[in-house]
Amino acid sequence: MEPAPVTHLASIDYAVMAVYFAAVLGVGWGLRRVMRTSTDFFLSGRSLSPWITGLAFISANLGAQEVIGMGASGAKYGIATSHFYWVGAIPAMVFVGLFMMPFYYGSRARSVPEYLRLRFDEKTRTLNAVSFAVMTVFSSGISMYAMGKLLNLLLGWSFDVSVLVSACIVLAYILLGGLTSAIYNEVLQFFLIVFGFAPLVGLGLHAIGGWQGLSTRLAEVAVTRGLPPNAYTQAWVNMGDATRNPVGVEWFGLVMGLGFVLSFGYWCTDFLVVQRAMAADSMTAARRTPLIAAVPKMLFPFLVILPGMIALVLGAGQGGSAGQGLVPAKLAAGGAPLLDGAGHVVLDYDLATPMMLVHLFPSGMLGLGLTALMASFMSGMAGNVTAFNTVWTYDIYQSHIRRGASDEHYLWMGRASTVGGILLAIGAAYVAGAFNNIMDLLQLVFAFVNAPLFATFALGMFWRRSTGHGAFTGLLAGTLGAAIHHGLTLPAGTHAGVKGGYLGVLHVFPSELAQTFWTAIVAWVTCFVVTLVVSLATRPRDPDELRGLVYSLTPRLTDRGLPWIERPWVLATVVLVLTLALNLVFF
Amino acid sequence: MSGAGGLDIRMPIGGLFVVLGLLIGGYGLATAGDAAHYAKSLSLNVNLWWGLVMLGFGLLMLMGAVRTQRQASVRPALQTAEGRATEQRERRTGLER
Repeated sequence: MEPAPVTHLASIDYAVMAVYFAAVLGVGWGLRRVMRTSTDFFLSGRSLSPWITGLAFISANLGAQEVIGMGASGAKYGIATSHFYWVGAIPAMVFVGLFMMPFYYGSRARSVPEYLRLRFDEKTRTLNAVSFAVMTVFSSGISMYAMGKLLNLLLGWSFDVSVLVSACIVLAYILLGGLTSAIYNEVLQFFLIVFGFAPLVGLGLHAIGGWQGLSTRLAEVAVTRGLPPNAYTQAWVNMGDATRNPVGVEWFGLVMGLGFVLSFGYWCTDFLVVQRAMAADSMTAARRTPLIAAVPKMLFPFLVILPGMIALVLGAGQGGSAGQGLVPAKLAAGGAPLLDGAGHVVLDYDLATPMMLVHLFPSGMLGLGLTALMASFMSGMAGNVTAFNTVWTYDIYQSHIRRGASDEHYLWMGRASTVGGILLAIGAAYVAGAFNNIMDLLQLVFAFVNAPLFATFALGMFWRRSTGHGAFTGLLAGTLGAAIHHGLTLPAGTHAGVKGGYLGVLHVFPSELAQTFWTAIVAWVTCFVVTLVVSLATRPRDPDELRGLVYSLTPRLTDRGLPWIERPWVLATVVLVLTLALNLVFF
Repeated sequence: MSGAGGLDIRMPIGGLFVVLGLLIGGYGLATAGDAAHYAKSLSLNVNLWWGLVMLGFGLLMLMGAVRTQRQASVRPALQTAEGRATEQRERRTGLER
């Protein structure tokens, strides 16, 4: 029998949702006449202002794994979750804006794999395009699965109906308005998410007695779990020893694995986000896109991590209970709470943020909060689908299946692959769901596929001697290296299987994240070394062919003509200084 | 702020937040004084206050969009001093008869 839903909605909540659905569909409808060529459909005709692409850049990433997953991590790891932002995002976003966008935008490549085609060769592009296409389908599938499960649990809605309805809405607005429609809606969703979660944080902090009250209560939880009292409220002081912080990672693994390899691998090479910058109307706009996006990204920890942290310690007065606050226990198949090896109750951290919504928002605001949640699922899904249809059409279909067809035909294929991509994602949604924390699964996928990528792009953009054969073998070796490392290690307290150790256990990591970060480091180093060696052994390309694609062969851009406020360097410096300050405040 | 196709993005955002603000703020007004309803949100009528904030934000967005549209729209030359001067100059030099 199905368990009873956590809450029921009033008509006002449904009205709020209906208004949102009407708005996103309205945007698609309003943009429908713009779609004349495939460039309109896939790249918004390269015509958008940097404020729009910047907010879309951040919003496409603001999917389920962000709002739910970061709330979950907030409850699990405390303020140390901010490392995913201040270490694991901002530096890479600044780097891609300052140093890599000139090649992506300047080369006139229509996608990231196409840049690899121009810089290296067809096989490197195809490898990247195929792995990326698979990843986007899985990401949006996971997103849909999480949403269907959540709405079912909270409101008793049917899983199938939730998944189908949200998929149809995303499908409709992308078919109508292509990438522009997805980007416009991402900006709309960005504001909705901010307006939906800001009052939640405000009310939550008010309920718990501000940051002071939160620190005091989290200190009690930390001590009962055998951690130093400041383990949940200070991000750096306990990073020296993996057993003294809730993340279970030491600082080197964190900075290198998350801050360098995974972060640069995602923000600098993932077409999902880079596509938003490619839709900008000029080179300066494209370079400013990730820098503008970095400003809200820097502040998101307060919006998405704090609800999780507060959820863990809200007291009996607000419906919480000692040691777990609002976070419910994970239930075993029979309905009894699940226990871990040591006999402790396993908490369902993914419910931390949704439970906060249900417990602090009266009807009216509850509708807004749930709509914001749905907006985050949809923007993530739409981001994946628009990246998928572009890579499929340009990098797989046009280059391998049907060359030289008319632009009309590719526009048609773009629409068809939007439908196909969403159908595949729905399939993936039904396959997904084995891990405790969605974030961990995504990080694992990124580790295998994305971790070696940044080595390839860094060598491609900044070392003109690197060759296509080198890049291709490097990528394969890096992914293989990741799989072997993952197969030879295990996180503490788990058994060999999907968590690793399938090739025998050589090393046990203190946590799953530590294993993931070190897997990424191994992948990156393997790819870097193999690309280097194979490149030196193969014939280099003629330097003339590499102009505009490699740093040393491309004229430097000058920002002299721009007002100082629009210069990418100025914005980058401001962002980095503020991020450093935030790290020091929560040190 | 307008991109492809001339749809200013502030229009749909402003429109959405004005409607949401009126809807949620209005609901807050209608349920004001219902203590049980706002027990969850620590006795704060969060619907009313946040509704007003959203309404304000929505109106700002709409105003920005409308102002840009006015500036960008084409007006007959004779309605502005600059336009009238140009017309006179053109007539003098015989460009326009």
